[in-house]
Amino acid sequence: MSSSEQMATDLQQVLQQGRHRMTPGLSGPQWLSPVRARGAAAVATMSLPDRKQEAWRYSSLGFLDRVSYQPLVEGPFDAILPGDVEDLLLQDSDAVRLVFVNGYLATALTPAVRCCDGATVTNLTAEMGEVPEAVRTQLDAIAEHRHVFAALNSALMSDGALIHVARGVSSAPPIEILHISVGLDEPGIAHPRHLIVLEEGARAEVIERYCAMGDGSYFNNALIEVALGAGSELVHERVQEESPNAQHLSDLHVRLEAGSRYRLVQATLGGAWSRTDVRVTFEGEGAQAELDGLMLARDQQLNDVHLSVHHKVPHCTSHETFKGILDGKGRVVFDGHIVVARDAQKTDAVLANDNLMLSREAEVDAKPQLEIYADDVKCSHGTTVGELDANMLFYLRSRGISEVQAKQMLCQGFAEEILQKIDHPALRARASGLLAARLMESV
Amino acid sequence: MSSSNKQMDALVAKGYEHGFVTDIETDVIPPGLNEDVIRFISARKNEPEWVLEYRLKAYRHWLTMTPPHWSSVHYPAIDFQAISYFAAPTKKPQLDSLDQVDPELLRTYEKLGIPLEEQKALSGVAVDAVFDSVSVATTFRQNLADAGVIFCSISEAAQEHPDLLREYLGSVVPHTDNFYAALNAAVFTDGTFVYIPKGVRCPMELSTYFRINAQNTGQFERTLIVAEEGSHVSYLEGCTAPQRDENQLHAAVVELIAMQDAQIKYSTVQNWYPGDEQGRGGIYNFVTKRGDCRGARSKISWTQVETGSAITWKYPSCLLRGDDSVGEFYSVAVTKGRQQADTGTKMIHIGRNTTSTVVSKGISAGGGQQAYRGLVRMSQRAENARNHTQCDSLLIGDRCAAHTFPYIEVKNPTAKVEHEATTSKIGEDQLFYCRSRGLSEENAVSLIVNGFCKEIFNELPMEFAVEAQKLLAISLEGAVG
Repeated sequence: MSSSEQMATDLQQVLQQGRHRMTPGLSGPQWLSPVRARGAAAVATMSLPDRKQEAWRYSSLGFLDRVSYQPLVEGPFDAILPGDVEDLLLQDSDAVRLVFVNGYLATALTPAVRCCDGATVTNLTAEMGEVPEAVRTQLDAIAEHRHVFAALNSALMSDGALIHVARGVSSAPPIEILHISVGLDEPGIAHPRHLIVLEEGARAEVIERYCAMGDGSYFNNALIEVALGAGSELVHERVQEESPNAQHLSDLHVRLEAGSRYRLVQATLGGAWSRTDVRVTFEGEGAQAELDGLMLARDQQLNDVHLSVHHKVPHCTSHETFKGILDGKGRVVFDGHIVVARDAQKTDAVLANDNLMLSREAEVDAKPQLEIYADDVKCSHGTTVGELDANMLFYLRSRGISEVQAKQMLCQGFAEEILQKIDHPALRARASGLLAARLMESV
Repeated sequence: MSSSNKQMDALVAKGYEHGFVTDIETDVIPPGLNEDVIRFISARKNEPEWVLEYRLKAYRHWLTMTPPHWSSVHYPAIDFQAISYFAAPTKKPQLDSLDQVDPELLRTYEKLGIPLEEQKALSGVAVDAVFDSVSVATTFRQNLADAGVIFCSISEAAQEHPDLLREYLGSVVPHTDNFYAALNAAVFTDGTFVYIPKGVRCPMELSTYFRINAQNTGQFERTLIVAEEGSHVSYLEGCTAPQRDENQLHAAVVELIAMQDAQIKYSTVQNWYPGDEQGRGGIYNFVTKRGDCRGARSKISWTQVETGSAITWKYPSCLLRGDDSVGEFYSVAVTKGRQQADTGTKMIHIGRNTTSTVVSKGISAGGGQQAYRGLVRMSQRAENARNHTQCDSLLIGDRCAAHTFPYIEVKNPTAKVEHEATTSKIGEDQLFYCRSRGLSEENAVSLIVNGFCKEIFNELPMEFAVEAQKLLAISLEGAVG
């Protein structure tokens, strides 16, 4: 049996064990069953991605050969008290917080959620309250099972946040989804699943964070769906600071109706292997998406971002800026794919990817792609790869700044363009601090 | 927009100007491919034993391969057993002078506007005309021989320079490289061999006109150019083909080798039959082109103007192995009607201080489909390597498509890579500016399109630049009315 066949078998086992261990209470309410069934059916027909597949050309799943992941069940995590996770929380944050430990809602760490009228924040297993009908119908309606992990998530989703903002409502406090992963003796695989639905003209800010207690080994297989009604606006801020031994896969699907706005800013800083797939689909005219990201890859880290932006209708705008900083044997993979459909005239799409290499062993693989079927469009992409500018270093050093400090300043300056776009002050401060600390270890 | 509709209609209605068939008896073997066919080809060409061995090795490897499907071009599956793998004009002329060449053949060239005599007399270009698969006219042999330059067909090289051929054949594109390269290695019928000795600057531009003629015969040309230390050569390749209803496969292999301080400039103007307005017929142009900058400070430059073929699928590439070596790729590709193109380049930086420049201009009109696909790889050793890539697409009409798929792989921090791509149509403001200065719309568009491609035409040798501009004008005639 080849190793890929072996892995596929392992995957089936994960699925079987996951189902087996999932008692009816854990598998959530009845309405999830059809979604799970669809996911399980898809898993059965799919195989593990391999590097011969274009979308996985640069992201090897070799770690699956070495580690056999066990499905995570709700465990003794109630024992974790707020005091234990103090240093993982945002300081002076006004956000409403939902905490998930190893994929399950940690009630002890989640304060009673108080949102404004018209905004509903609950979870998949409905411990936090009823799930509105408008939300139920959207679950799994936006995502596509583009790879077996997405299907696995649908089949085995453990828990996750459901956010619904009613028509015209502007949800006042930001909503924070905090994942805390605790490494166990046997590495586990968690399947967090979130859904954000904004009705017509609604507005919200959602913070999504991935943290770890300790430096254990685990696999986070998250799937997030976002449905934006006409004229709505979502600010989506994501910071990934997983354990250095963790695998992280995020599959983010966004659907925009006419005139809606989506702003994503993310910083992917941790994990041994980290990949984020973002798929944005424009379904209505005049919508806008702005996607920005910072990727840090040090030591043996792989940091992979795949974007896929589909302009299906005219008059939409999408701007993407992704920056990578590499050190040690770090690898950054960036794949940005913009598709402009026939008749999606007056599309304005700009994709930029810049990479800064600090070491001799690092590697960047970039693939910015344009696929255009309409003629009256403005589309461009640009990619650069280079090292720190010797002149800039010299300038700083001639002013008495040490080499280490100068390098750090230049790196932070490079990253600042992205980090500045984080609206939430506490989150911005945390991301900046993390970056500075990691750069300090590097340079 | 009415003007763009008009443009499109006129484009689509435009027939293929070079669609005529020359009636020359050809010696064709029945369709099909097996080891006997390969032995037949080899025997007919009186090849040394090792060439036959090479062919058979390639054929046996080809049998284990499947046609690649990763590109953005679409075409019905090719039946390789339905192709006839050898077609040679039966009256092989003695090559003392052009007078002995079949007059019918010469008239063909005249119709194409490339009379050999005139070229010989006026432009000083030596032409090795390939009519189907066998060279029928070779000119300027003596001039070149005096300079020590070998310029002959591959078949002749197998007879007269077997050692050179044996050393270099398949050394850049091995027979295992890809499906079509393996097929070519098994059945290549003819092609050109060029050898420039050490320190020689080739006294004239070398040129070959390829022409596919007999129905149902694939052309499997093989070109090998070796430039020894400090030498210099400029090679031109130009193509047209007569109108046919059935698709014709053209799977050529071009290998360039540049030693220390050597320079090779390879220019192509390709105008094969693109098929009719329903997309019937037309040439499948699946070519493997690769240059190897083996020595320090060597340079290989690819320039191509691609206006023909139903499908163009090729990536002229440079392996920059020598320190300070230079690779260049300049391309204009025009697709209209049902034409498809998936083209680009690979720049593999291995040596230190290597530089590469990629400028690709795509013009898509009517229902034309076009993709730029390129790879820039900076290996760990490629200290201070530089690459600049620019891909621009111009869209004319709302039924065409333009794609860009660049791959950038960097493993050295001192390497600098820049990639830019834009897609646009002809700006209303640009048109307005020209028209307000008294230019007709047609002239204005022509001016803008020529300006769009100017960077590439500047890279072509003089004679070719004129031909290329003419070709572009003809291709887009009506599109700009």
